[in-house]
Amino acid sequence: MTGPSASHFFVLAAALFCLGLYAALRRRNAVLILMGIEMMLNAANLNLVAFARYLHPDPAPGQSFAVFVMAVAAAEVAVGLAIVLALARRRKTVDVNEINLMGG
Amino acid sequence: MSWQLLAFYVLAAVMLYSAFRVATVPNVAHAAVYLAVTFVGMAGLFLLLQAEFLAAVQVLVYVGAVMTLLIFAIALSDPRSLKPDSGPWARQLLSLRWGFLPLGISLLLFALLLYAYGSSPLPEVTRGTPPGVKELGRVILTTYLLPFEVASVLLLAALIGALAIARSSREGAE
Repeated sequence: MTGPSASHFFVLAAALFCLGLYAALRRRNAVLILMGIEMMLNAANLNLVAFARYLHPDPAPGQSFAVFVMAVAAAEVAVGLAIVLALARRRKTVDVNEINLMGG
Repeated sequence: MSWQLLAFYVLAAVMLYSAFRVATVPNVAHAAVYLAVTFVGMAGLFLLLQAEFLAAVQVLVYVGAVMTLLIFAIALSDPRSLKPDSGPWARQLLSLRWGFLPLGISLLLFALLLYAYGSSPLPEVTRGTPPGVKELGRVILTTYLLPFEVASVLLLAALIGALAIARSSREGAE
């Protein structure tokens, strides 16, 4: 009985990362850009856990670092959405093309 | 074909489709729902990798907390953001600025990653037993105690920072 190999997970994680990057680059809505970043972090997590499962004698360190990545992602999305809400209140837009406060 | 491989392909197909829809669907709220599907699929993949604790945390943190935050942010931000992001899909794909450039960069990165995986042989390692919650907790609180403390300080800082940023703008408007 053969389950999915390490390469299966690596290719899927790479595809998900690139789709997240595509979403983050393509979208103009700041909330959607944050969604793309979350997807990229999640794909990196999948890579981390797959490496720990298949290519390391002890999977515990890889899984613990995946937990830390989740903590960082949660903190990032909380602060990012607070900034988006502050922008939506003050500038009445979440379009990143119109947010040029520091652009001069 | 074993059931693990079948489950992997089903989960991968669902996740790739919903991840693609996150990038392309016009409605912001629909994109959030597709992102939730991707997160649930990721929890299924963690189960396939025998990381049961991570699967539970994935559902709790991403589907429970992050998705709630995102949906609240969509509801609270400008109502115009709920309207379609921009014009028809085909025109966006063909436009030089918003179609080709992100697509080209993403495809280039994907090709590079595939080339890197293909050109480097994977080492043969004796696989260890997957850690349970007990073993994971022991590792986090002994070997990785410093990253754990840094993560907790980071979460506290993010909590205070998010409160300060979201509040001050309101007081400034009054």
